Amino acid sequence: MEISQPIQRLLGPSLSGRLLRLAAIFLSLYALSLTISPAVRDRSFDGLAELRWMHWIGLLAWLLAFLWLQRQLVEALPNHDRLLIPLAALLSGWGLLTIWRLTTRFGLRQSLWVLTCAALFILALRAKDNILELLRRYKYLWLSVGFAITALTFFFGTNPSGVGPDLWLGCCGVYFQPSEPLKLLLIIYLAAYLADRQPLMSKLLPLMAPTALMTGMALLLLLAQRDLGTAWVFIFIYTLLIYAASGQRKVLVASLLMLVLALFAGYELFGLVHARVESWLNPWVDPSGNSYQIVQALLAVAHGGMIGAGPGMGSPGFVPVSHSDFIYTSIVEETGVLGAVALLSLIGFLTVRALRIGLHARDAYQRYLAIGLAAYIGTQSLLIIGGTIRLLPLTGLPLPLVSYGGSSMLTSFFALYLLVIISHNSSDHPPSPQAGRPILVIAGGLLGAFALAALVTGWWGLVRGPDLLTRTDNARRAISDRYVPRGALLAASGEVLNETVGEPGAYARQYDYPAFSSVLGYSHPNYGQVALENGLDPILRGEEYQATWTLWINHLLYGQPAPGLDVRLSLDLDLQITASELLDEQAGAILVMDNDSGQILTMVSAPGYDANTLSEHWDELLERSDLPLLNRASQGAYPPGTALGPLLLARMRAEGELPPVPSDLTYTLGENSLSCALAPSDPGQWGAVIAAGCPGAVAELGLAMGADELLAFYRDLGLYNAPELRLPVYTPEVPTSINRPGVAAIGRNGLLVSPLQMLRAVSALANFGRIPALQLALSVEDNGEVREALEPVGTSRGVLNGQQTATTVLSMAAELAGTWDYVTPAFNEAGRGYTWYIGGTLAPNEGPGPNLTVLVLIETYDVQAAQALGRTILQTAMQR
Amino acid sequence: MENLSAYLLLALRLLMALALYAFLGWALYTLWRDLRSESKNLESQRIPPIALILQDAQDAEATRFSAPEIVIGRHPRCEWVLGHDTVSSRHARLIFHHEQWWLEDLSSRNGTYLNGEAVAAPVVLAHQDAVRCGQISFTVWLETIQP
Repeated sequence: MEISQPIQRLLGPSLSGRLLRLAAIFLSLYALSLTISPAVRDRSFDGLAELRWMHWIGLLAWLLAFLWLQRQLVEALPNHDRLLIPLAALLSGWGLLTIWRLTTRFGLRQSLWVLTCAALFILALRAKDNILELLRRYKYLWLSVGFAITALTFFFGTNPSGVGPDLWLGCCGVYFQPSEPLKLLLIIYLAAYLADRQPLMSKLLPLMAPTALMTGMALLLLLAQRDLGTAWVFIFIYTLLIYAASGQRKVLVASLLMLVLALFAGYELFGLVHARVESWLNPWVDPSGNSYQIVQALLAVAHGGMIGAGPGMGSPGFVPVSHSDFIYTSIVEETGVLGAVALLSLIGFLTVRALRIGLHARDAYQRYLAIGLAAYIGTQSLLIIGGTIRLLPLTGLPLPLVSYGGSSMLTSFFALYLLVIISHNSSDHPPSPQAGRPILVIAGGLLGAFALAALVTGWWGLVRGPDLLTRTDNARRAISDRYVPRGALLAASGEVLNETVGEPGAYARQYDYPAFSSVLGYSHPNYGQVALENGLDPILRGEEYQATWTLWINHLLYGQPAPGLDVRLSLDLDLQITASELLDEQAGAILVMDNDSGQILTMVSAPGYDANTLSEHWDELLERSDLPLLNRASQGAYPPGTALGPLLLARMRAEGELPPVPSDLTYTLGENSLSCALAPSDPGQWGAVIAAGCPGAVAELGLAMGADELLAFYRDLGLYNAPELRLPVYTPEVPTSINRPGVAAIGRNGLLVSPLQMLRAVSALANFGRIPALQLALSVEDNGEVREALEPVGTSRGVLNGQQTATTVLSMAAELAGTWDYVTPAFNEAGRGYTWYIGGTLAPNEGPGPNLTVLVLIETYDVQAAQALGRTILQTAMQR
Repeated sequence: MENLSAYLLLALRLLMALALYAFLGWALYTLWRDLRSESKNLESQRIPPIALILQDAQDAEATRFSAPEIVIGRHPRCEWVLGHDTVSSRHARLIFHHEQWWLEDLSSRNGTYLNGEAVAAPVVLAHQDAVRCGQISFTVWLETIQP
């Protein structure tokens, strides 16, 4: 604040001096904040080289421009309104620094514009005594010149940004938009005309006819140039001026009706209007196309919240043209709703002050001029601000004094110049009685609209904000991933599987076991999060289980989420590696579960991909027909074949309704004769024929059970609902009935199940008839310290009579001691073959021992291969 | 002390908000103060009655006004209608401000005269001044405010 001393000397103790001093203090603090913001973002203070310094040029230019202007004004127009210049100074300074923060190049240009405008202002002060009369006398000339220059854009028009309507005239790197000053020329014309026609002002028609013609011509010119925003401002200025002159409210009502009508007509007739209105009414339908701007703008507001991300700490650059049309949301993102309220108040005060100058004006001409200028500042600000926060359809307009742009700046300063002169002329003039009422109505309406804009900003920033920020098209998430460490995924014994490495600002995800990528997933700035990285995202990002205080302090200090928390999974690293090596590149999945706890010890899917080289192979991965991105263990959907046979047998045994073993073990389905997967060891015994996967026997069980009971049993086994783990799973369809229980029993009725569902169902065989609640995430940890132990998802439930289960399983005991298993092929409707291997441990005779279920699925018809694979896994798992 | 910069930024932001809202508060206070002084002015400002008396008329009836602005002209919406061909539709205006009644010509065709002199710029009226609009003459009767 050492800066305030020289300013005090320069400005003196007047009201405008004090206010300018406050504005300078505010802007210096803003500039200082911007300077240190890179260090805060990177969370380090080493190396001053990375700090931002350039924007101090802008502050210097601003200071120079307004100090000079202030001194000249005090001399030239000692009685001018002392609020105008400070309000305009703060607005333009705030805009200027925001533009510097967004783009250095534009910041430099804007600084030059501010200086140029101040210089022209001071130069124009020489004409202060007769400029108003000059403008009044040659009103038609000025307006015609304005029309002519605007019309030139039809022939020589360009657009500095390369796309969009050609509204600019340009030469040698300087561009000028004639429709900006045209607004002022129209205001001057209208004010002069209306003042001359004072005597007739009670009659609307003679008042409106010539002005309507001129305004209509201007509108046609703008519509032909597709400059809809300016056209809209023209209509508002015209309406408010006619209302101020006539004092008749029906002007306002009629104009409002006309606008709605024009909106409807435009919606039906013009593609541009249609698209704008569509993206206003339904922005969420097309968030990456027509409504990209508005959705991104709302995300910026949402990110700002109450206090904002802090100067230089947000990412307003994601919104297109953030330095111009969307500067409001850029400011709100970094200063929050608090900043928005302040900004809207500043513009509101300026508008009201201009109206007050109109109230006190010496004569009708100056009064209408001031009202017109107030209408220009007020309505143009409201239209563009309302457009960016979805209060109104979006129209491309600069925010007066704040947005980037030379034409807009010149126009705003010219308006300011005229207001200053009018206020000086009428400094001690009493309020004009006949103008009081319309001015009061206009001021009330505009202030109400500004308050509404503040409310809507608050709605997006505070009420809808938290929801909006979780949208996948919010690129800020990817940005904060670079600055905030994401939690690691750990194996059961604490080995790191996926982790975040690097420095703040350059954090990247590293996948230590690429073979598990399809199960663990990835977190990528462009491709988002999938699999477990997606399911556990809120924890890994630090949104869940993180202390409220930590969340708050991070939001306050960095405008970012808190550091993420680690999640320990139930996956056994050794087993996981073994399973992965065994399966190799063969398409399929392997699952191992601990029956006591429901913990998934192994989950492997092949073919996989290496998440470390995602960017290099992305297109190829998407195109591959073997779907490497799919986690087959949880997302794959396969026909069950006769794999459910042992469950049916156990159920029938438990019910005591077991029919005799059929003599024909094959099953004829249409033209196909289906036979046993393996040769049954004893064709006369139920256990043996079911273990061998004989379709005739399984179908017999289905028939004996009946359609309704089979449907209920399948439902009990969870074949119709998806396991509730925090990872993407196949969601099956829920049938209302089963037509042919025999066909359904051998899995040929179109039923598809994921390996995870199958594992859950068959675990009942070896677990005394119980299906455990599954668990994959064991605990939330922070640097090795358990923050919260997680519970299994769902409830454990009995589906089979426990007494009968053991004997059922025993009758198909495998060669490997202490285990049971069976293997069965399955075919889908296209005739493609798959093989299920299902096995597990037998309840140990004495003492605790492993209680496991193993499932292997391979996407080929190869009973031997599946069996060999499954038994190796089972053996390894038992020796664990 | 890697967090030093973060706390510094937070402090700067706090000061920024203070400066910004101090500015706003001050501006708002100024707006309010102006409004208050204006409404006080309006309250205290009592318009002294003014009466206009046509000179040529037989009965010479005085027309009294209590409005702060009186437009004289042929147009029926004028406060004081003078139906004579030499009077323009909005001919002249009497307006009270700065504790005085002022006479102002509204670019009339035949001009406005105060005690025989043409009125070019607004002039202050005194008791029993003679005013002529076109060929119509009248006397201004200003009365002191009776308690």
